[in-house]
Amino acid sequence: MEILRVENLSKSFGGVHAVNDVSFSVEVGERLAVIGPNGAGKTTLFNLINGQLRPTAGRIYFCGQDITKMLTHQRAHAGQGRSFQLTSLFLDLTVFENALLALNGTKPSRYQVLRPITGYEDLMAKAEETLKAAALWEQKDELVKNISYGEQRRLEIALTTVLSDLRLLLLDEPSCGLTGAESADIIEMIRKLGRDITVLLVAHDMDLVFGVAERIMVLHYGEIIADGEPEEIQASPMVKEIYMGSEEDTGSARAS
Amino acid sequence: MSFAPYIIVGLILLIIPPFVHADIQLMLAKFLAFAVFAIGYNLVFGYLGLLSLGHGVYFGAGGYTVALLQYHLDIDSFWIAMPLAIVIAALLAAALGPIVLRSTGMYFLLLTFALGELFYSIAWHWPFMNVIGVGGEMGMRGITGIMYPDLNIPGLTLTSTSFYYFIFVGFVICYILLYRITNSPFGHALVGIRESEPRMQALGYNTWRYKYIAFIISAGFSGVGGAMFAWNNTIIDPSHFAVGTSFLPMVMSIIGGSKILFGPVIGALIVIFAEYFASITVRARWPLILGGIFVASVMFARAGIGVYLARLWEKVRVRYGNTKG
Repeated sequence: MEILRVENLSKSFGGVHAVNDVSFSVEVGERLAVIGPNGAGKTTLFNLINGQLRPTAGRIYFCGQDITKMLTHQRAHAGQGRSFQLTSLFLDLTVFENALLALNGTKPSRYQVLRPITGYEDLMAKAEETLKAAALWEQKDELVKNISYGEQRRLEIALTTVLSDLRLLLLDEPSCGLTGAESADIIEMIRKLGRDITVLLVAHDMDLVFGVAERIMVLHYGEIIADGEPEEIQASPMVKEIYMGSEEDTGSARAS
Repeated sequence: MSFAPYIIVGLILLIIPPFVHADIQLMLAKFLAFAVFAIGYNLVFGYLGLLSLGHGVYFGAGGYTVALLQYHLDIDSFWIAMPLAIVIAALLAAALGPIVLRSTGMYFLLLTFALGELFYSIAWHWPFMNVIGVGGEMGMRGITGIMYPDLNIPGLTLTSTSFYYFIFVGFVICYILLYRITNSPFGHALVGIRESEPRMQALGYNTWRYKYIAFIISAGFSGVGGAMFAWNNTIIDPSHFAVGTSFLPMVMSIIGGSKILFGPVIGALIVIFAEYFASITVRARWPLILGGIFVASVMFARAGIGVYLARLWEKVRVRYGNTKG
């Protein structure tokens, strides 16, 4: 069954075609990695799918429904969860408050004006459960800006996956800037997700890409130049030339 | 949560008034009116993170509502005037919100400022405003002789002391309401929007709706503050729409601390007390003194004086081992 379909999607910024006539579809439960050099349009593609940007042309279908004109928060209610490339957690709030906000976004109680948030026992219990599962319960009263970067990334992924009715998870560089061990934690977290959840990720970290993805799509100057299983992509001479490039290029791409 | 500081401050505000001169009662009531204005304003400024320089519009609207009701229709019932003041301030915010809330940061500041000045200009220069009694350069400069509201309680006519207690009750109600609002899921969402609006959207929050509702609630409290102020001050004029009024709650919030609910109350206390003592000593130097207080608090108490008071209270509590407060 198809969960996401993108048809002839384009986005230009002035004369720059960040995403150029892209079409693909994703099946329920797939783990798809979008890779490509810097500036290939990967994040722009994510912003189009999640609604931060409006496409210049083309359509997006999610669970069979045309969502091209839907707003971001409506897409969240439809089942899209998203993490951002640069950690966008609420840095001046505590870990626990971050969890509460993430859990409450699609609940009817989010508009409650006069009842204290601490009065919602199911919400409190769920926040505790989520933080314990992510091994962050000890730090629940710390401000997010004071916990380590690895913990921040882990918190962000954990809080992206708690969206009620999550169907499609969009992870933008989830392991960016992490050490090998921290990155392994993230891979583990993604692997643990159920097959009812589809995962789309953008990454430069090849350990993450080959550790998680079952299908890889290569984007170059806003166009899909290859789409297939990891082994095919690894073997493709064109991909090697454009993306993997020479040894130095690979190094710099990983470092970013 | 410790309630001891609230009880102490509340008792001081309850006990002192009958023993002081009417001028000081007037000043205390003015402080409470501005405290309501400032905590309402701070919902948008401190919690939502949008710096408005146009809340004078809603403050003035609240004040003018009670003044015009008395002036034209001879209605001085509190039960008509106050709800109407809130509704009119909130309706104005509902109409102006879609214009100003499209922007953030500096542009929000400039848009709210421009709208405030527009209201002031209309009230001051348009001859029609003079005809209906709002005021203006052509004739009367505002509405004077505003009387205390009638509470419709047989045998009760407000005096300056009982009016003070009436304002005090109003302040306590507003404070409790805002305490509940800021601790609710709605209030938490406002802070989330201040921190990162795109993330809030990705989590499923309709951030525009939150901003709009918060703006209207904030204006409603500003209207309450304006009405309290008009009754207490007995005079209201077009300058109460303008930036000279609008910037006061901002200054109060910054001095007292915008990230905590009682911060603006501390700020209002400092500003109104200082204004009173300036008025009986060096009246003409008041703007200079206000500027000095503002600069000093920004330099030496960045987070706001209220935050330091809270820390001090924490230390006192630890020192004397009274963990229950």
